Amino acid sequence: MSQENKGVWVFSELPALAFELLGKGRALADQLGTELAAVAVGANGDEYVQHGADKVFLMNDPALTTYQVDSYTDAIAALVNEHKPDVLLIGATRNGLEFAPRLAERLKTGCVTETTRLELDAEKKSVLMDRVAYGGNLAETHISRSKPQIATIAKGLFSPNPADSSRKGEIVKVEPKIKPPTTKVLETKPKTAKGVRLTDAPVIISFGRGVRKKEDMAVIEQFAQTVSGAIGCSRPIAEDLHWLPIEQYVGLSGQKVSPKLYFACGISGQIQHLTGIRSSRIIVAINNDPKAPIFEYSDYGVVGDLYQVIPALSNALKQLSKSQ
Amino acid sequence: MVNVIALVKQVYQSADLKIDRATKTLVTQGVPRVISETDKNAIEEAVRIKEKQGGKVTAVSMGPPEAKEALREALAMGADEARLLTDPLFEGSDAHATANVLAAAITKIVDFDLILCGTYSEDLFAFQVGPRLAEICNLPQITYAAKITLEGSKVVAERDLENERQVVEGKLPCLISVTREINEPRLPTLMAIMGASKKPMITWAAADLGLDKEELGFNGALVEVLRSTVSVGERKRIMLQGEMSEVAPQLVKALLQEGVLKAS
Repeated sequence: MSQENKGVWVFSELPALAFELLGKGRALADQLGTELAAVAVGANGDEYVQHGADKVFLMNDPALTTYQVDSYTDAIAALVNEHKPDVLLIGATRNGLEFAPRLAERLKTGCVTETTRLELDAEKKSVLMDRVAYGGNLAETHISRSKPQIATIAKGLFSPNPADSSRKGEIVKVEPKIKPPTTKVLETKPKTAKGVRLTDAPVIISFGRGVRKKEDMAVIEQFAQTVSGAIGCSRPIAEDLHWLPIEQYVGLSGQKVSPKLYFACGISGQIQHLTGIRSSRIIVAINNDPKAPIFEYSDYGVVGDLYQVIPALSNALKQLSKSQ
Repeated sequence: MVNVIALVKQVYQSADLKIDRATKTLVTQGVPRVISETDKNAIEEAVRIKEKQGGKVTAVSMGPPEAKEALREALAMGADEARLLTDPLFEGSDAHATANVLAAAITKIVDFDLILCGTYSEDLFAFQVGPRLAEICNLPQITYAAKITLEGSKVVAERDLENERQVVEGKLPCLISVTREINEPRLPTLMAIMGASKKPMITWAAADLGLDKEELGFNGALVEVLRSTVSVGERKRIMLQGEMSEVAPQLVKALLQEGVLKAS
């Protein structure tokens, strides 16, 4: 293992996620007494400096305008080999998640995906990377035996530092050598999601099989309006019953959400679903089965018929708003 | 003719896993072992490609000797041959060490045009083995495929991303990881299940793959698991009980105090 690896780097093709990574990266870099750098694409790196980067490797190449796994791997692997960072945090978008392991394999280094917590070990030599397996039932702490230590991090896990326009940083223009990519994008078709994207929603009302008929979704819709929330659902609602488009299914292979408040209404709490809601700040479960596993994973639980509980909650909120 | 390799991982059926809170362990006893869900879609897609264009499907799995069951199921679904990669030396593999073993097997199989696998495994959900394997084999990768169309050596796939479907074109040979959406895996008929036992099932150990002890299992892993504990959840688990006329305002107040809900 080489000793000379230095610096904390962050990369995400989504600038907003890169800023979140810079928030965590700043803390790690300060603890390590090292520099924080962002790898970015485009013509301007100032925003990365404002959010905490000491240095920005700015790749302004037409081949990198849109993400493509080969080009990004070529470009960033070359940069890593040249500068040898100690830590590399990568944003876990779906593209980020296909890119990180490919990059790690090219660099012959470890990678821990979908981390939930990062912390330096006592000697501050390695990053302890926590992740969960078995749908959140098993919590594991990993370390990388090789460098850079790569972790992928989902959106919403860390907060960006507020932009500070007085911060100074170095912008390093990079001209990467990129081989022609092996795939090309023919077309992108936007998904038709109604209203707010689930992944951006601060409040989500999700429902499952506890809603008995399609018409009864009105109960959920009304409540969603009252609390200005977006509507999500469990897998059977989208995949088997087709009551809602697949984009609104929250879970393992669906959307992973990180709202401030998540209501699970009539959702039993299978591992599939729990994986999608882990990053929620507060989880409220409403279920008529007191033994439903969802209660074990909730902050607040109400045992009861959602057809009664939800209107009661709406009323209570309206009453309280009036009295204030 | 398209020869397809379908990668199969055997996992514990996730819906049946439970936590024993008293002993803080994951209860796997009596939990059936199944093919990881998106790998099943990969097998189905491989078989459909063969049925349409001719060719051969080889199902490959690295795992304990029990993984033979998963491969037998793949054969019943329509795969023509199976390779079980099993060796005590493989224990403790991380994604890199696993991809390394699979790459050795694929190199030995030689004759393939397409590798299909699930986008993730149902147990670890690490998303790593596909892209790592593609990198070792120097193959193009297409991930999150919800649709695949083959025309000669050209492949067009629809990648299911967060907010869009991205239609990409690539060339065979390549590795494609598929989502659950791509197809509905078939339930093998009794005839197919019986027929599966007659199909070739070959077991390869480390020595058969020309792999050295140092690059295998725990020794070959680039990532080490320091601790593994059952997660009993960091949630508050406050149960509100009683009359709804009391419980509802109580919950609303609590949520306002948490700062996650606003009174309008």
